[in-house]
Amino acid sequence: MSKTLPGADLTTRVALDAARDELRADTARGAGGRAALERHADRVDGVLRQLYSDAGAPDRPVAIIALGGYGRRHLGLHSDIDLLVLFGGRIGRSGERFLRAFLNPLWDLGVVVGHQVRELDEFADLEVDNPEFLLALLDARPVAGAAELLDQLGAMFHTASTHAYIQRSLLQLVEERHAKFNDTLYQLEPDVKEAPGSLRDLMAARTLAALTDPLLLRRVPADPERLDEAEDFMLRVRSILHLECGRNQNVLSHELQERAAELLDYPGGEPRQQVERLMSDYFRHARTVSRLLEWARRTAPVPVGSNLGLSRDGIRFLDPLEAARNPASWIGAFQAAIDADVEVTEDTLSCIQRHVDTYSPEDFIPEPADCAAVLRLLKPRPRLYAALSQMHDCGLLGRLLPEFQAISWRVVRDFYHKYTVDEHTLLTIRNLERLVRTEAPYRQRLKSVADGVPSLELLVLALLLHDVGKWRDDEHAPESVRMAVDVLDRLQVTGEARETVLFLIGNHLRMSLAAFRRDTEDPETVKEFAALVGTEDRLKMLCLMTLADIEAVSPDTMTPWKEELIWRLYVDAYNHLTQRYGDELIGQDQPRLVELLARRPNDLPEMEIRRFVEGLPQRYLQLFPRDSVYHHVRLARDIAPDEVHASLDASDSAWIVAVVTLDKPFAFSNICGVLASFGINILRGNALTNPNGLVLDVFQCSDDECFLELNPAAHDQVLQVLRDVVSAHSDVGALLRGREHSTLPWNQAARVPPVVHADNQASGRYTILDIVAGNAVGLLYRISRVISEHGCEVDLVLMSTEGERAIDVFHITKAGIKLNEAEQQRLTSDLQTTLEGML
Amino acid sequence: MKLIKTIIRPNKVDDVKDALAALNISGMTVTEVRGHGKQKGHTAIYRGKEYNVSLLPKMEIDVVVADSIADDAIKAIIGAARTGEIGDGRVFVLPVQESHRIRTGEKES
Repeated sequence: MSKTLPGADLTTRVALDAARDELRADTARGAGGRAALERHADRVDGVLRQLYSDAGAPDRPVAIIALGGYGRRHLGLHSDIDLLVLFGGRIGRSGERFLRAFLNPLWDLGVVVGHQVRELDEFADLEVDNPEFLLALLDARPVAGAAELLDQLGAMFHTASTHAYIQRSLLQLVEERHAKFNDTLYQLEPDVKEAPGSLRDLMAARTLAALTDPLLLRRVPADPERLDEAEDFMLRVRSILHLECGRNQNVLSHELQERAAELLDYPGGEPRQQVERLMSDYFRHARTVSRLLEWARRTAPVPVGSNLGLSRDGIRFLDPLEAARNPASWIGAFQAAIDADVEVTEDTLSCIQRHVDTYSPEDFIPEPADCAAVLRLLKPRPRLYAALSQMHDCGLLGRLLPEFQAISWRVVRDFYHKYTVDEHTLLTIRNLERLVRTEAPYRQRLKSVADGVPSLELLVLALLLHDVGKWRDDEHAPESVRMAVDVLDRLQVTGEARETVLFLIGNHLRMSLAAFRRDTEDPETVKEFAALVGTEDRLKMLCLMTLADIEAVSPDTMTPWKEELIWRLYVDAYNHLTQRYGDELIGQDQPRLVELLARRPNDLPEMEIRRFVEGLPQRYLQLFPRDSVYHHVRLARDIAPDEVHASLDASDSAWIVAVVTLDKPFAFSNICGVLASFGINILRGNALTNPNGLVLDVFQCSDDECFLELNPAAHDQVLQVLRDVVSAHSDVGALLRGREHSTLPWNQAARVPPVVHADNQASGRYTILDIVAGNAVGLLYRISRVISEHGCEVDLVLMSTEGERAIDVFHITKAGIKLNEAEQQRLTSDLQTTLEGML
Repeated sequence: MKLIKTIIRPNKVDDVKDALAALNISGMTVTEVRGHGKQKGHTAIYRGKEYNVSLLPKMEIDVVVADSIADDAIKAIIGAARTGEIGDGRVFVLPVQESHRIRTGEKES
């Protein structure tokens, strides 16, 4: 036996009729504007609450939520009642019973209901195919039931990404709607809801403000009262249209214009005069609305991050109160400003300034991701100086780095410096920022030095801290280092990065000292300086730091003369590091070796380490931290001919491939070929051979085809192929030909004119081959193949890339000695031909 | 009076200044200059490319001294600036007819 559903009872019918009658009466008096519509919505709320109550609560929470115009309480006489029936869990049979009991009486009452029935979990994903629904949700208002469900919905719904999507959708919808009206508001029979300048445009402007900047419309150039006036006028007209037509009719046709003018009591002896005055008012209001929307479209911030918007005057907090409570979000404002090439707005800076002193340095970087964000911010690019200056001005920089605060407005009197220490420091960063994007022909050589540094943000961090020790009057560099240690602890900068920053700070005056006060034409000066920096990366960073530092002393301190001296020292030290390191081998009592042995893990006997490292270039111990060396020693353990031991590890930005094998012709070429056959692109690396014939190749690689990332068995696969190739069971040439025939453009080199240069002077033991070419997968394979085909041994290789350029330095011999002039010529000629053939 | 015009290695400026100061010669003009002498610079190689480095950075020190101490000054400069290697520089000596102190108008000859 079926149960009879309760119909609309007399009470609710009477209540609804009364609500409508009241609105009709108001409308007939010309007063069907905002206040009347709100009263009407409130009365309908009452009816819905009654129906909700009569329907009987289901077994799980449910909320009746008003959406769209009804949510805004602008409920017209014949407007749809847009509802969301939101369940806190699975709807189930009890929920279905509730829905029937709630909705059927509404339909019985003759109400046009636009209803959506959802479970809360459905809002976990954005409904990208229904932007109108998302827009209607912005006006959601609880009417009956479990109001807390709306709060939960809000927490899922009101996110920066959702708001950004709705904003884009709204602007698109506005554009499409306007197009239907030929983009003009001056319609003879305007639709007061849809036409340009109508109610929808007014709502669009308000929605833009709600999505981006709640205070936006308070800054509107026009008098805000004119907007309220326009809205009330449009609503009164729309109420008349509904009343006169008895349906949801919004077009103010010629016939209805006369009726509306009469009900709105426009003066005039004849209807035509009344209508003219009505339409004159309409166009005046529509123009106000239209201009408002246009202004809001231009001015509204575009959401660019959590609580961050991009407005015409820069990056601002969308909700300053929320921002004040969340200092970890502040760095993001400056990052966004750099990204968008704008400033942070004055009101946002003021907000930070008002609250910054209530927080400790750790509050700005509570998570490792926040520390990483600080380093990301420091990447030199346009606007970095401006952003850091703003951070300094509002007190954030000094609060985040109290060490920097110690040199704020610090005056050091000498003959050279023209600025306070803090400004000098920031200017060094501006100089670097300018250098990395300079177009000046005479600075391209220095710009190329910057291009080759993989982590310029470390240099900026070092610049930021290089003079913090000047808060004291004595020698500042050691004090700066001492203070920087605390900063690096807080920012969680560890390992090689930390050592580099401390090195740069501690030695920031050493290059200018060597260049200007020492005889740089003396090879000993160059050798000492090269030994100080140790690696090309540190040399490059110290060179850039020196230039930026000198330029920031005063506008006249850096001269082309000084720049030339620094450049020459750089080139000489670079050549020393890359071409002569093969002559400086690790000996028995090398301090780094002693330390390496003293700290060795239990599983590594001293003799095993000695046998591995003695005879390798000293550079090896400078390049690799102790743990890496121990790892290499373990890799080399019990290596036999035709064997390959290798490891593949993911680092922050690259894959590290370490390969150990015993030397034989084509060994290096084969290893490079195998990596190329897997699409692995070698970015940087070192190939070393020790006197026992052991080869150690360590590569930093990019995994352009995601082979390593997506393939859990990649390590075993690469190793197996390496073994097969080294033991001559497989031909690397055949593997690569397979790739050449595939569709992947694996061997296409960037269009960099190749340079091949052989030198017999730089090193006592080796012929040095300097090669610059467009980077490409397989490049090293091809180069080393040609070298091996000429009967040469590849003893040492330095590999690096700068953007599209590969810069490789090979140390080679033939039958154990340097190549003679004719051999050099034949080899360089063949290499040149090979590289040009790759273009 | 003599004008002693000295072209030296950049790192030798302090040594030359000290040597002149020991002779009570304190007034001088120091200028950053670039040039080459007999060796006409040299070739530098950076990343496989050759660069002709013909104009080398040098320092020029100009001093005007009384005839009586000119030889001592020249010896002091040479002693301080010499390394024995190519590129140590040159000393030029020119006669000075007269000089005028701008502040007072005082004339020396």
